[in-house]
Amino acid sequence: MIAVRDGDVGRLGLLFERYKRPLYGFFYGMNRSQELSEDLVQNTFFRILKYRHLFRGEGDFRTWMFHIARNVSHDHFRKDKLKWKESIDDWQDRLGHDDNKEGEMQLNEKNAMLSIAMDRLPSDKREVLLMSKYQEKKYKEIGEIIGCSEGAVKVKVFRALQELKVIFHQLEKTM
Amino acid sequence: MEQNKVDELVGKYNEGLTDPSEVQQLEQLIEEGKVELTQLRNLERLDDQLNAIEAPAASLAMDDKFYAMLAKEKRKQESSAFSFKMPSWGWLAPRLAFSIVLLIAGFAGGSLINGKKNSDVELLTQQVAALKETMMLALLEKESASDRLKAVSLTTEMDQVSQKVTQALFQTLNSDPNLNVRLAALEAIAPYSRDGKVREELIRSIGKQDSPLVQVALAELMGQILEKKSLSEFEKILKDDKTPTEVKNRIKESINVLI
Repeated sequence: MIAVRDGDVGRLGLLFERYKRPLYGFFYGMNRSQELSEDLVQNTFFRILKYRHLFRGEGDFRTWMFHIARNVSHDHFRKDKLKWKESIDDWQDRLGHDDNKEGEMQLNEKNAMLSIAMDRLPSDKREVLLMSKYQEKKYKEIGEIIGCSEGAVKVKVFRALQELKVIFHQLEKTM
Repeated sequence: MEQNKVDELVGKYNEGLTDPSEVQQLEQLIEEGKVELTQLRNLERLDDQLNAIEAPAASLAMDDKFYAMLAKEKRKQESSAFSFKMPSWGWLAPRLAFSIVLLIAGFAGGSLINGKKNSDVELLTQQVAALKETMMLALLEKESASDRLKAVSLTTEMDQVSQKVTQALFQTLNSDPNLNVRLAALEAIAPYSRDGKVREELIRSIGKQDSPLVQVALAELMGQILEKKSLSEFEKILKDDKTPTEVKNRIKESINVLI
């Protein structure tokens, strides 16, 4: 990234190849739309390119990238004022119209239910779990991204997992 | 809290026996780093399951869009900073420099002897143009995509391109493995699109393109030059189920003027 910042813009391609999957996975986990997630990946790299001069070179590129990605995600949903559907019926209906329904059905049943449970989590809790997944549980770095201490991130993850467990058990009973 | 009390609390949590105030205590311990999340078995299992779930794969269009953006940024950089930077063209640069010096020396000497300065300058210009063409064709054969991009950008320095160069540009547009190079080749061909033969080749090119970005760029060019004969080729792309919806919409927008 330092090379990109200093003028070798072509090297951003290497970073794209390395990080496009976790970045796409993060966005997909937040919004469950392939098309939107691809657009948000593009927006993230657009901003990385545009603001490359702001990369200080201290710390991980991945952390900086997820910081930008989080802002891109928030900006998009603030603009579109999307409301998260909470009822189980809505989600069953959404599964029915989802372009990736076939992909979902190929997962084993528990994974599919876990995905639905994730979708039902409040977005801030879902976000912290996705950050934990794609930042490989580097809680200190996640703290830098979301603006809190490492300890506070662990508590957020704890609370998010607790709630996820409750939702998951509810789904197991209902389905 | 003493370690044995901490262990007791963690054990209780793992058995599902903690009350809300004990969960709060546990949170405090987690924040202080005295309890790790990995110690909480049920949550750890759930977390592992979560990490095992893969998102479905993104489409190739995501890559295409990114590389098009990168190519545009590189072209912007190159056009603002471009100069005849001989040292960066590696093995060819010294030979080209030597050839140009020889030419200049030769014609300067010749014009002194014969006094025909105007025609000599014209001849020199032609020879330099021929050298640029040779260099361009040589660079197009190189493995590195950035060398091939340089080759294509050289054509923008030529007042007129020969048939050989046009053919090489079409060859690049139709079969270069790098998307950025193909897009650059199309941009280089665009100024010559008034020529009937160039138009015919451009129309033939449409059917040879897999990349949605090149298809869209061709549609935009055809719309600009009002080439109605391109419609039948674009109709095939629009009827193809594999063409992404966004690409179909962009193509329809561009060729609307042709209908």
